[in-house]
Amino acid sequence: MSAFLSYLISGLAIGCTFALVASGFVAIHRVTRVVNFAQGTFPVVAGLTVSSMLGRGLPHGVAELIGIVLAGVIGLVVGVIAIGKRGTPTLASLVITLGLGILAYAFEIIVWGDQPVSYSMLRGAVDIGGARVAWQYFLVIGATLVTFAALGLFFTRTYLGKALSACASNPYAARLAGINPIRMGLLAFALGGLLGGLAGVLITPLQPVAFDSDVLLATSGFAAAIFGGLNSPYAALVGGLLLGVLEAFVAGYINASYQTEVAMVLIIVVMIYQASRRSTVSEEVS
Amino acid sequence: MTAEVGTVRTVRRRPDAQRAVGLGLGALVAVLTLLAPLVLDRSQLTVYILTGTAAMVTIGVSLLMGYAGQVSLGQAAYYAVGGYTAGLLAVHGTPPLLGLLAAPLVAGGLAGLVGIPILRLRGHYLAFATLAFQLILLAIVGQVDFLGGDIGLQGIPQLSLLGIQLMTAQAYAWVTWVGVAVVLLITRNIIASRPGRGLRALATSETAAESSGVPVTRYKIVVFALSAAFAGLAGGIYAFFIGYLAPGSFPVLLSFQFIVMAVVGGLGTLWGPVVGAVVITLIVQTLNDLGTRPGMPSYASGVFSYAVYAILLVVVLLFLPRGLLPAMADLVRRAFGRGRRAPAAAGTAVTVDDSTTRQPPDSP
Repeated sequence: MSAFLSYLISGLAIGCTFALVASGFVAIHRVTRVVNFAQGTFPVVAGLTVSSMLGRGLPHGVAELIGIVLAGVIGLVVGVIAIGKRGTPTLASLVITLGLGILAYAFEIIVWGDQPVSYSMLRGAVDIGGARVAWQYFLVIGATLVTFAALGLFFTRTYLGKALSACASNPYAARLAGINPIRMGLLAFALGGLLGGLAGVLITPLQPVAFDSDVLLATSGFAAAIFGGLNSPYAALVGGLLLGVLEAFVAGYINASYQTEVAMVLIIVVMIYQASRRSTVSEEVS
Repeated sequence: MTAEVGTVRTVRRRPDAQRAVGLGLGALVAVLTLLAPLVLDRSQLTVYILTGTAAMVTIGVSLLMGYAGQVSLGQAAYYAVGGYTAGLLAVHGTPPLLGLLAAPLVAGGLAGLVGIPILRLRGHYLAFATLAFQLILLAIVGQVDFLGGDIGLQGIPQLSLLGIQLMTAQAYAWVTWVGVAVVLLITRNIIASRPGRGLRALATSETAAESSGVPVTRYKIVVFALSAAFAGLAGGIYAFFIGYLAPGSFPVLLSFQFIVMAVVGGLGTLWGPVVGAVVITLIVQTLNDLGTRPGMPSYASGVFSYAVYAILLVVVLLFLPRGLLPAMADLVRRAFGRGRRAPAAAGTAVTVDDSTTRQPPDSP
């Protein structure tokens, strides 16, 4: 029972970081129709930045903020290159983000080297039902829930958020209403960067991050995001939590070396099941 | 095959002069590349062979993504399958030539099997599933003892043809040349045929293609298997030439590299992938030499190659969205002052624009 609880909580926490990466995918895809393959770069840059800021003696809070903001700025830069040129086809934008993700490797290796880094945020652990659970896990879960609540308020209660949603549902009508879809797309990229950065700041204390950690982070985030067809942040949250818990259980009860793979197989099975229930026509129209 | 009504841009009916130029160029490239191994030194031959194997995989990527519109982010998986098939058979005493023939068959067969469930997915979903397949495959290979696990498969014997062992890199270069030629020929024949038009149709709309009688599911699986078989053949040659295989030799980045080559060269063209493979390999190799010079920091070569991939990819996509080859062809056509400029494609995915229409008789 205690093992079950500790797997569940650690799974939820890791799942939360997947969900944050995933919500970045969703935020960008909804507005721009671009799958941002540089999404894994944001958490990596944020994690690496925070680690070196803390190393220079900056206090907690400030270091994390710098990491997240930097990720947001990089998100904006990726957006400018990927969709800033008018008339760039979606597939081209997608492959451009892939290229920028690889370009980031070069910068990351020059600045931080190629060794994984980590740092500690919240020390200590608590006893729950006989299981020792580190406080960091609760911090991750709490921060994620607050972020998703804030995202919900942002999309439904603010003009900017509504403008983003408007672009997502009908860019043409949004333009008629005086909203600039490209500017909104760039905003979405910056938002994706911030969300990815937050994920990186939270996950680095749990799993050390190196320049090439982006593949696994992005793949997991993508798997979570695709759960809701890349269009719903809440489905992405559910997908992320499911994936995280699944991985934790597979690692705990079966074999730790297969955790990601088993989770991926399950996600693919779900995707194929979902695809078999949709008609070809409906997919091609959308 | 019915009349030459709808053929792809690269092989469509062209004015005789232009056609002759194309044929001449093709023959020139073929002869030059065939003679090249005679003058190259050992390290240049290695580059030649790796370029050739990359070109084979990339032609498959271009066929799959450019013509059939199916995205695969895990093509290196089939490269690995081909390599391991050939390597494993050879290590256990099977004649190497049989191993080399088995490589594309096993890779293609596996892709056919995997394709049955996976190709029900489209777009991003398919992209994810193919990527995930590669990650899963690598994880399994890393755990299986008779494949060498994470340490790798060592001691793969040299390739031998008709009892003659190929000891020199030169011989491997010619084997690679033949491989690329075979792959190009197969691809050319497919895209110029009726099934080729079916593929381009289903890339645009599966529903429309299905209702015009294209067996969509079967075609998708076959073209997926074929592109995997190309990768498998390349993997087989790679295995014999290098003599050592490990899961680390086939990272996800390698799959991306094949896509970069296809996109840079020109997705949905026959020769574009070859151009892309040559250009990218040469540039990366040059920078690699530069990065490993004394005085350079240890990370230089890695950093250089990442940066070059990335910058080349982004610049080409932004400013030459159809790829290098079509852009160059346009330039040449305009330089000779005749011929219309091919219409700019809306996306890099499909080039179906003038595939069903005969060229107007009044065009130059």
